[in-house]
Amino acid sequence: MKKVVLSMLVASIGLIASEGTVPYKAGLLLPIQADKIYAQECATCHGTDGKQTSFSGFPSSIVYSKIAGMDAETLAKTIKEYRGGVASKDYQPLNKYGYGAAMKAPTRDLSWDEIDAVAKYISGLK
Amino acid sequence: MDNQYIEKMLSKMDKDLSKHGMSRRDAMKMAGLSGAGLFMGTTTGISAEEEKIVKSNAKGKIVIVGGGLAGMSTAARLKLKMTDPDITVIEPGELSVSYQPGQTLVAGGIWDEDDIAYKRDDFVPDGVKLIKERAVFFNPQENQLTTDKGQVVTYDYLIVAMGLQLDFERIKGLEEAGRALSAGDNKKLLNALGDDGICSIYTAKGATKTWEQMQKYIAQAKSGKKTKFVFTHPSTPIKCGGAPKKIVYLTNARLKEAGARDNAELTFYPNGGAMFGVPEYHDAIVGQFKRENIKYHYRHNLIEVDKENKIAVFDAKWQEKGPWDPVMKDFEVIPKHEKVRVPYDFLHVAPAQIAPREIAESDLGSAKGWVPVNKETLQHIRYENVFSLGDVAQVPMGKTGGSVRKQYKVLVDNLIALMDGKKLEAKYAGYTVCPLITDIGTVMLAEFDWTVKPTPSFPLDPTVERWMWWLMKIYALKPMTVYGMLVTGRA
Repeated sequence: MKKVVLSMLVASIGLIASEGTVPYKAGLLLPIQADKIYAQECATCHGTDGKQTSFSGFPSSIVYSKIAGMDAETLAKTIKEYRGGVASKDYQPLNKYGYGAAMKAPTRDLSWDEIDAVAKYISGLK
Repeated sequence: MDNQYIEKMLSKMDKDLSKHGMSRRDAMKMAGLSGAGLFMGTTTGISAEEEKIVKSNAKGKIVIVGGGLAGMSTAARLKLKMTDPDITVIEPGELSVSYQPGQTLVAGGIWDEDDIAYKRDDFVPDGVKLIKERAVFFNPQENQLTTDKGQVVTYDYLIVAMGLQLDFERIKGLEEAGRALSAGDNKKLLNALGDDGICSIYTAKGATKTWEQMQKYIAQAKSGKKTKFVFTHPSTPIKCGGAPKKIVYLTNARLKEAGARDNAELTFYPNGGAMFGVPEYHDAIVGQFKRENIKYHYRHNLIEVDKENKIAVFDAKWQEKGPWDPVMKDFEVIPKHEKVRVPYDFLHVAPAQIAPREIAESDLGSAKGWVPVNKETLQHIRYENVFSLGDVAQVPMGKTGGSVRKQYKVLVDNLIALMDGKKLEAKYAGYTVCPLITDIGTVMLAEFDWTVKPTPSFPLDPTVERWMWWLMKIYALKPMTVYGMLVTGRA
């Protein structure tokens, strides 16, 4: 019982905190906040620490490498390729290991400098 | 500023006028009268009667998102038409009310950037509250929105006037440019375009840069080197559909002036299949292109820029006659497209233009992102207390300052009618205007509406290029916009 009350208390504190904080979303031309982009677009599959290597939310469970600590430049280049062009038919995104569709959705609204920032953030994850 | 050129033009004008037994003063008076007519917002341009103002006592909190020309002039007019309005404008940009139609003139070396820079804070009407933040989350069910600083703003009535964004990042090779607004320092964009012939007049800073680049490549042509000038027009709706052509004409004029035209090849690559939606103006423009020996290729959309090799890549579309279809009893039409690589020395990019993502992804935006409104009353199709005008509104052919000059009156009348519990009777008919600069010293005043027919304000052939419209563009339209609309809310 104590545990339940405590967790409810923690949850409500969380709510209060989220109301007071500054809202952020990628792709709105706001000053870039890489940690928030990572939390919103990447953490579901890659984990908050960048070390998660499997995900079962897709029709079939998928596995992949850990991304924490990877070279920022390589990361940025790859994410940009996954993102691809916004509209043109002749500008297809990368489909490395068949992850094209899964990577397209979270990256498509990121600007180039947002990608650079989030790559640096991932590279810095220990 | 090219005073010498203007002087020369004026003396040439005097000579032309004296042939018709008219002095420059008379002519200016005529142009001035037309300008005054426009000040009053009359359609004939000749009758300049003072508009009778009946003020409403309606109550309610009005929030205007976006303090550009559309938002700020709407605030001014609400002040004019209401006894005690409660108005809040949300606008983060310091130069939000800058005079964008002047960007072509800056790029043509006729005006300076200072001539078009206007500060938001100088144009907030008395009693109107200003929030210098950005609205980023919209909750129209609850009549509230949240700013980027976390401030929650509630409203009774909302006017969306957030404009549009210049989507350079969809062009391969220019992704790092990101998306831009026309005002602001736009360093990221200018860095991405570089210093090697790529430019765009769609931002104020970019207009200055365009003039620098243009002079550089005119000098190259003058030195005897064959120089290719390439101009684009994108596949999305754009603000000021005439601007991509105006910059063609201004470049042409400056090349002729420098005596370098023979070494230059000018080519225009529009995504569409015509020069203008109105047949009369289309024909006139095609005539002007032929006369000036400017080439054009329809159905070309810029998708990539190879900066290193100076090649613009277009997606070119066409249709071919296919095999016989026995069911339809006709030949099939097969759409084809291919990449076309075009070398350039000077490349003017008219970027694709999109609604801000925060609108597109909110319940206020349509599938394409624009705010869906009844195109006549400018009321939102789902939320009756929401209105929209200007570039962000989903209104056909409506993305010009000239459209806003008609829209803001309609919107204000209808909003006040709604607040007073009356019927929304004011209707926008799609009027817009493109003072198409065809040379330094001449303008074709292309006015039209949803009838897709010329709707001239003056009893003159609208397809003829005239110096008088040049004078109007240079001297009358800016004061009409800045003081007529933004300050008084009357023009």
